[in-house]
Amino acid sequence: MTDRQLSISDRYRLALGAVAVIIFIMIVGLIKLQIFQHEDMSALSESNRLRILPIVPRRGIMYDREGRQIVNNRPSYTLSIVPAEEVPGKTVANLAPVIGLDSGQIRKNLRKTMITRYQPAPIMRDVPFEDIAILEERSGDFPGISYQMDRVRQYVAPPGSEAFSGYVGELSSDEIDKVDPELYRLGSLIGKKGLEKQYDQVLRGKEGTAYLEVFASGQVLGPYAGKPKIEAVAGADSNLSVDLDLQQLATQVLDSFCCGAIIAIDPRNGEVLALTSYPGFDANAFSGVVSESLWTSVTADPAHPLLNRDLNGLYPPGSTFKLITVGAGLEERAIDLSSTFRPCYGGFQFGTRFFRCWDKNGHGTLTATHAIEASCDVFMYQLGLRLGIDVLGRYMEQCGFGKPTGIDLPGEAAGLVPNTAYYDSRYGKNRWTKALALNNAIGQGEILVTPLQLAQFYCGLANHGIVYRPHLVRAMRQPNGQIQTINPEVSFKLPFSESTLAALKEGLRLVVEGDRGTARRLKNNLYSIGGKTGTAQNPHGDNHAWFVGMAPLENPEIVCCAIVENAGHGSEVAAPVVGQIIKLYMEKKLGLNKVAQVGAEPVHP
Amino acid sequence: MMLNYRSLDWKLIGAALALSLIGVFLIMSATHFSTSAFERDYYMRQSLWLVVALFVCAVIVHVPLRLLDLLAYFVYAVGLVLLTLVLVVGSARMGASRWFDLGPVSLSPSDVAKIGLLVGLARFFAYTRLPSNSKRRLTLSAVLAVVPAALILKQPDLGTALVFFVILFALWFWSGLSPWYLVLIVSPIASLVAASHWLSWAIYLIGLLAFLVMLKPGMVFGVVAFVFNLGFGMITPFIWNRMADYQRSRIITFLDPGHDPRGAGYQIIQSKIAIGSGGLWGKGFLSGSQSRLDFLPERHTDFIFSVLGEEFGLLGCLAVVLLFGYLFFRCFKIATRCRSRFAMYVVAGATSIILFQFVINIGMTLGIMPVTGLPLPFLSYGGTALVLFWTLIGLIVSADYNWQEY
Repeated sequence: MTDRQLSISDRYRLALGAVAVIIFIMIVGLIKLQIFQHEDMSALSESNRLRILPIVPRRGIMYDREGRQIVNNRPSYTLSIVPAEEVPGKTVANLAPVIGLDSGQIRKNLRKTMITRYQPAPIMRDVPFEDIAILEERSGDFPGISYQMDRVRQYVAPPGSEAFSGYVGELSSDEIDKVDPELYRLGSLIGKKGLEKQYDQVLRGKEGTAYLEVFASGQVLGPYAGKPKIEAVAGADSNLSVDLDLQQLATQVLDSFCCGAIIAIDPRNGEVLALTSYPGFDANAFSGVVSESLWTSVTADPAHPLLNRDLNGLYPPGSTFKLITVGAGLEERAIDLSSTFRPCYGGFQFGTRFFRCWDKNGHGTLTATHAIEASCDVFMYQLGLRLGIDVLGRYMEQCGFGKPTGIDLPGEAAGLVPNTAYYDSRYGKNRWTKALALNNAIGQGEILVTPLQLAQFYCGLANHGIVYRPHLVRAMRQPNGQIQTINPEVSFKLPFSESTLAALKEGLRLVVEGDRGTARRLKNNLYSIGGKTGTAQNPHGDNHAWFVGMAPLENPEIVCCAIVENAGHGSEVAAPVVGQIIKLYMEKKLGLNKVAQVGAEPVHP
Repeated sequence: MMLNYRSLDWKLIGAALALSLIGVFLIMSATHFSTSAFERDYYMRQSLWLVVALFVCAVIVHVPLRLLDLLAYFVYAVGLVLLTLVLVVGSARMGASRWFDLGPVSLSPSDVAKIGLLVGLARFFAYTRLPSNSKRRLTLSAVLAVVPAALILKQPDLGTALVFFVILFALWFWSGLSPWYLVLIVSPIASLVAASHWLSWAIYLIGLLAFLVMLKPGMVFGVVAFVFNLGFGMITPFIWNRMADYQRSRIITFLDPGHDPRGAGYQIIQSKIAIGSGGLWGKGFLSGSQSRLDFLPERHTDFIFSVLGEEFGLLGCLAVVLLFGYLFFRCFKIATRCRSRFAMYVVAGATSIILFQFVINIGMTLGIMPVTGLPLPFLSYGGTALVLFWTLIGLIVSADYNWQEY
């Protein structure tokens, strides 16, 4: 290397060479992008301009057995923010006072639902029309907001229906892992309770997809050529076995008490006619986004409005259980219809303990059916002793206790059937006494049943021992008009012979019609009625009142079970409650019989 | 002055005209779906500007190059005055004051200053008797370039300021400075890059020493070069802290386009998507979704080449790149045959401006050069730029026409 100058022609060659190298590098770069990375870049280009929008289908409507709407959909506005178009410090700040959410909450919702910065992220469902009018009028104050037509689930049935309808809510981030990602997204509406949850996939229908071509700003140009829109398929409508008249009455009669539950079933097919749990909650307030304050107020309520007492309330069955004790006694030939025990003088001495009868005057000497009539504890104590804990336990299980009934509602409790194995594990071997059999024989102690299980058992008693699986949905109608009927199915048979069943039914008749019956007040001239009172001992307060009734007794069409918490004796409180419901049912039947056909033309609002 | 029009370099003019017309078409495509009627008319405005530019070019061809030779320092001075004025009264656009608003026309003084430096340096090198690698010659010519470049940097506009140094380098090279010296002169920038890590910097400095020993450029020059290398490496963090936010983000974006895909890197990513999705044949005229749906930013100006890549594919890009290549080939040929040194330097300098913007702009759209905001010569929308490039073409054609003059 020296200081020798390049000749002009050297400079020319060098300059030309440099240009050639530059152009070569450019061409290599172009070939790399346009040939080798062409497919990747094309895909990126497509995804740039393609916006996939879900089309939410109409959720299935629920009708009662007479075609009255229970749950439908109401048009509404959903307010969204397009994050890329939002002006920080302006949009949210101006929006907050109009829609009544604070800025922090809006931000929180936005973060939850945002998919991309260019897609509208819903921040509030069901914004009142007046608010939308304000937003429209002062649109300049709210850059980046948009609103879409949407539907809000509307629960139109009388209060108490939420016990079976349940409600829908937005899928939260802790639930997202438990559902099919093909069907649900964060923020999708999903059934949270009741039928809405049980039949969610049928009710929700099939989501459609719109393929849109968009500008970089997110503004929609139009449909995306080459990708036709996939239409949404509406959810199936359902016809429920519930009779809203009975349902409404069931809630009304509980209104004067603290808490309770009523369930009415047609024993001939297992159709649920009414199902209410009191107090309930406002399903409309719960559908969509549940505010923090609503949630705390409901969960902190000592009456537990969210607890569905029919399915999850666990109570000792009290005297309603005595039908099992007597049934088991007859089946096991421990007694026959003329057997008697030591007479009742208001109690029974067992070892060192004196077990009282509920009537301290005593009942004297009774046969089995009359022991049911008078609900005599002393008779049952002695029968229980003769049968033993495990025989009683076995019969309980065979009568459907200790396991879910299989009703088409989610989250049903199993209850508890105590037996030797249970007591051994609970107290230790030989650390408990046979006296527990006495308690079990009158339905107290550790036995726990749900009102639904009890109603199911009485359905068996009413229906010649054949128990149909309790269910609410009778038929589903697909959007194409196709109707799918859900046929009643036999769940199990009671472990009682015809003669035993006849004896038990006679006992139920005597409870209402006998001279010493505990539910004599239900006796009437119009129709025959049978049933059994019960009082569940409650160590935490006043006893719970039970009554399970059925009518017409010759061939029962309705079995109605009621529990009224902390209300005292079944005969005084629960029996009249059930009596009213059965009365309405029978009046409807005898007066104007208007039971709807399956798939009857629905009434549109 | 009457010319023998058949002796003009029509091949060169044809190449430049073809590029300009392609530009008009691409601008039309880039703005065709715009919601603003004003933007949709950009191609009409560009056509009008092309007419103006061709007129300016014709005028320059008719002016004897000798006249420009005599007035060279005057033109240079006018450029400096305008640059100073724009700092005082210029209207700010996009955070930088670069323009004079003259009613419907805005005048960019930096374009005038580029011509000024071009002819000023050409005259300096044409008449100086100082040896090609003498310190005085290098220093004086550098001062001529640094003054306008410093004024541009004050606006601030790094990309345009670089053009001034490019003219200086091109003329250093064409006036006979050994390319090794050019390497040495650029070395402080390499030092700046190497200084990002102490180990790479140490290796670099050792290599530089070895290079100096072999080149033997003289004691003073060698020491100055080495000190500059040391200094540049050490002031890296200092410079970094003094840079404007957009300059810093441009450098970060260049080094890592995915760093902030919705921010500064967005342009590069979208440009690469546009070009890459064009494939071999392109999506067709007016059918580029990247461009039509606004994903491509600044598509009628800085990223016009991306529109070309998307709609006309590799074949369209090759056509334009090779057309440029042919243009440079003609220019270098003209520079080589000019008998007047002034003419040669004017041609070489003018070519270097076109070449530099060509490299920087296309490199940017391909993601191999940082975003500088320099338009693509002849194709990008912009009236004053078009007039500038056709002025350069006029100077080159004029030099070619008079190649036999001394």
